[in-house]
Formats: sequence, C-alpha cells, structure tokens
Amino acid sequence: MPVALNMRLTGDKEQEVTLTGTLRPFVAEEMASVRRSLEQAAWSARGALCVNLKRLKYMNNVAFLELNRFVRWAASARPDLRVKFILSSVIPWAIRKFQVIAELYPNVTIEVYDKAFYPIQHVIEDDEFINVLRTQEKIIWEHEQEKLAWHGMRPGLRVADICCGLGDFAILLQRDFRPEYLVGVDHSKPFLRYARQVVSDFGLENIEYQYGDAAALLLPDSSFDFVTCRLSLQVFNEPQHILRELLRICKPGGRIYITNELMAGIVAHPGENLIRWTYDKVIEIGHSLGMDMDTGLKTREILTDAGLEDIKIHLIDINNMNSDPNDFGKVVESWTYVTGQMCMRSSQPPEVFERIKEGLMAHVEAINSDRGFASWPIYAGSGRKPFRA
Amino acid sequence: MSIVKTITPAPPMEADFASSRYRMIMAARFTVGGFAREWAHCHLLANYLARYVSANEGDPERHATLLSTFINELLEVIYRNHAADGQIELIFRKRGRHVILQIALPVTEQNRVFYRMAVQIVNQPDLKSWYRARLEEPAEGEDTMLGLLELAAVYACTLTISEPPGQDRISLFLELPEVDEMGEV
Ligand SMILES: C[S@@+](CC[C@H](N)C(=O)[O-])C[C@H]1O[C@@H](n2cnc3c(N)ncnc32)[C@H](O)[C@@H]1O
Repeated sequence: MPVALNMRLTGDKEQEVTLTGTLRPFVAEEMASVRRSLEQAAWSARGALCVNLKRLKYMNNVAFLELNRFVRWAASARPDLRVKFILSSVIPWAIRKFQVIAELYPNVTIEVYDKAFYPIQHVIEDDEFINVLRTQEKIIWEHEQEKLAWHGMRPGLRVADICCGLGDFAILLQRDFRPEYLVGVDHSKPFLRYARQVVSDFGLENIEYQYGDAAALLLPDSSFDFVTCRLSLQVFNEPQHILRELLRICKPGGRIYITNELMAGIVAHPGENLIRWTYDKVIEIGHSLGMDMDTGLKTREILTDAGLEDIKIHLIDINNMNSDPNDFGKVVESWTYVTGQMCMRSSQPPEVFERIKEGLMAHVEAINSDRGFASWPIYAGSGRKPFRA
Repeated sequence: MSIVKTITPAPPMEADFASSRYRMIMAARFTVGGFAREWAHCHLLANYLARYVSANEGDPERHATLLSTFINELLEVIYRNHAADGQIELIFRKRGRHVILQIALPVTEQNRVFYRMAVQIVNQPDLKSWYRARLEEPAEGEDTMLGLLELAAVYACTLTISEPPGQDRISLFLELPEVDEMGEV
C-alpha cells in the first residue's frame, strides 16, 4: 500500500505530523506506525498538535476511523491538547469529512490553509479585470514568443504552466509550438472556468486545467519537459516553495522557465518624477505585503539557487513603440485596481492611493503621447534540471 | 438507536436506462476471484475508472479524485462482502451532472442480509446520527459498513438495491452527488 508518512517539528509549542499520498489500508493495524507517530507527537506537543493533510490525496474509511480513534484517545490522554487538522481546498473530499470530526469533538479544529492566501485574488477575478489580463497577455506574448525556442521550447513537449491564470498562454503555445500535452494549474476557479471554456471553444483535447496550489502540487515527480511559471513568483512571499515544486515535477534534462517584472526599471517620459515615485511606492507597499515586484532582477539568482544548469535570461522589453500603445495604456490603467487593493491591505492613508493613481495616469499619458516614451521590463529566464542532483 | 421502518427508495428500473435522460459512460466486468485476490485492486480500479469517467470534465483531475474516493469506498465494501464465485459488473451512467454507478455482484445469504441492512440504514431519516454514533463508539477492528454510511451521510450519495428474484446476485445503485465541471460537490 503506498503510504507516505513523514514527521516534522514546527517550533517548540506546536508539533506537526504530515501525512501525504494515499492512505487506503485494509485493516487498522496497517496504520500502526501512523498511530504511533501521532501519539508520540501528542505526548510531546504543547498547546496544539497539527495534523497536516494538505497533500493526502486519498484516504479510506479504515484510515479515517483510525484517525477518529486517535482523536478520542487524545481527548482523554491529553485533555488540554488541541488537535488541528490542516486541510487544503484542493483535496475535494477532505473538508466535509473532517467537519464531522470537528463537530463531534471539542478538542478538534480544522483549518483550510489555502482559503484566502492570495490577498488580492477577488479583485483579479473580476470580469472587467479578466479583459485587461487578456490584453496584457497579448502584448507580452508578441515579444515573449520570439525567444521561447531559444529557451528550449519546441513541438512535442509535455508542458506544465503553473499559475496559468486565464490560460491564454496555453492556447498561444498550442498554436505556435504544438506541445504534446499541456496542463495548467491555478488557484482561481473563475480563471480556470474561463480557461476551460476557451479550450473547449477551440476543441483542443491535449490541454487540461487543474485547480491546485503551486506550492503543493499534486502532479507527479519528473513528469514534464518544460515547466513554466509566468509573472507569478513575484506575488508570493515565499517563492522558493513554488520553485521547489517546479523543480520536482520537471524531468531531469527538462527546463524550467520563469518570467517576472522589474518594477524598478519602469520608466516613462514625460512625467518621470511622479511616475518614478509611484512605482517606488508600489514596490515598498508590495514588500510590506510579502511581494517582490523586482523579482525580475533576481532571475539568475533564483535559477542558480534552484540548482539549474545552462541558465539563459532575456529581457522582454515592452514599450509604447514596439507594442500597441492603446493596449499598453489599458494594462497600466488597470493597475489602479491592484494597487488600490494593495493600499487597502497595507492600510495606506487615502492620499497615498490618490497620488499613486495620478502617477499611473501620468504613465498612461506618456504611453499615449506622440513624443513620449514608456517601457515596462519583464525578465524571462530558464534553466535545465540536472540529470544528477 | 433502532432502525425505523421506512420505505427504502426503489432502485432505478432497467427500462429507465433506455431513456435519453441516461447516458451510458462505461461498463466493466471481471471475476470475483481476480478482484478479491488483492486489496490494492480496489484502489487501482477506483483510480482508473474515476479517471476514465472524468475525462471530459473541466477539471478532470479534481473530478477524478472525488469520484475515486466514492468508487473506492464501494469497491472496498464489495471486497469484504461477496460470494466466492461469479462475476462483478460495473456500469457507469450519467443523468445530467449525476454519475450513477450500478454494481452487480454474486452474494451469499449473509451478504444479502448485510446489503439490505446497509441500504436500510443509509435511508434512515436520522442517518447523520447513525454515522456519528459509529465514530463516537468505534467498533473494534474494521467497521465494514462505515464507508457506505459515509457516502450517504457526508457526501449525500443515494444507495438503493435491486434483487432479481430467484438469483444469488444483487445490484447496488450508487447515485453520486451532483458535481460541477470543476469537480465541486
Ligand atoms: C499575476 S497572475 C499571472 C497569471 C498568468 N501566468 C499570466 O501571465 O497572465 C498570478 C496567478 O497566480 C494564481 N495564483 C495565486 N496563488 C496561487 C497558488 N497558491 N497556486 C496556484 N496559483 C496561484 C492567481 O490565480 C493568478 O492567476
């Protein structure tokens, strides 16, 4: 029976036991080692014991009954201990099942760890915003596409696009590079619904979308030739967790491809002073929320630290002369939504947001001006996963 | 708790399946002997069948994970309760967004009693209390009925039984909850 069990200590107050993979035993005795680990952890834990089931994909009722027995045992052996089950919304059967246990026993709580962990998610899922994202995708693709082959993209690959958003990238890849199979993973159900609609409108059968967490993917190890993660590492406070997953699902010899903005490199004239102030402020607010809007500059470091070889980096240089200024302007205009949310979440005084809005408008004016120049740098980098770690 | 006499819902009629409301998805037939040789067959079959049935869903992976959970519980019960010889037949149909799983299997008299009882409990008005009671006072060893109760009490599946007269076979019908294209119950 494929059961994986590993235990990890998280601080001295809380102890955590992690169960991953499949728990479908025939008899309760097969759960003996799991039960022992749980009991040991319960004896030494103070306050709360976390049972981490984020990546437990399958569990049958024999295993569930045994967890139930453990909870009952804990309630009498360690009456002051709280047992906290950490669940993921990605596992479709888990929450309902553990709700029953939480209702039955006062010492049990459940926590859905990924309930709201992307602070501005609901803004970007807005219909109007979806249109802007599509425009953004269009202007970036025009420049990105030219260099994808250099990064190792070619027909017939198995591709995973992590944090795929609306999935336009998948459609464009399909048109220009004919992957054998492509899976897109995102944590936004409205985006995935949209992406799936596009795929079915085009009648494409080799593209699949999955609801998932980029930092805890359920995709198997070493199963993709080309793994992409575009404009997303920059919005996570711990991008290394995602990178580890990208690396895990990539085949040895396959390539990982990432793109990230360099907000500090955004320039525009006229209005450069206000525009510079604006982006510096957004970078600062981003930092306070755990986002690094200058991740682009660290592309080489990120890929090197991940242990990749043959690293390649190029600049996707979007400016108002090589892209449709109308589209470019709309994209920048839409940043008012996002920055508005960022200001709210970081409790900025209203005048800060007012000034940011002015800065963004000045940027749009520069983009649309006949004599103005505006550029938006995005860095694309890739590296090969070594055959031997 | 005692079982109250309720009229257990009737299984769907063979004639219904011919109607256009039901769409046949797949059927599988295998011998009891082969199936019962290894416990892992439940897991492997559940995953394989779930993946096949979910192929055209918006999020096939999520849909299949949920379906596999349901199919596996049913197969595990069958693994523990069946006659020694004969064939097991599985038929998947769809009505709207519901998957309906029919499973026909050979039974002994003892198995028959077990399945009748299970269907009766699953259709009790206070099913949730039955389910909770089994968790609060867990049996020693395995609780072979818990999986079926969970399907109904936690996931709102419905379970019915059909017993063709004069045969040592029964059919169970498990109607799964409505799952949307993103695999959401
Ligand atoms: C800035 S968007 C980039 C989307 C797309 N790659 C593009 O280039 O347009 C970031 C994406 O990450 C997704 N996301 C956020 N948190 C996630 C998580 N934990 N796992 C997977 N996707 C996540 C969001 O839903 C959003 O679609």
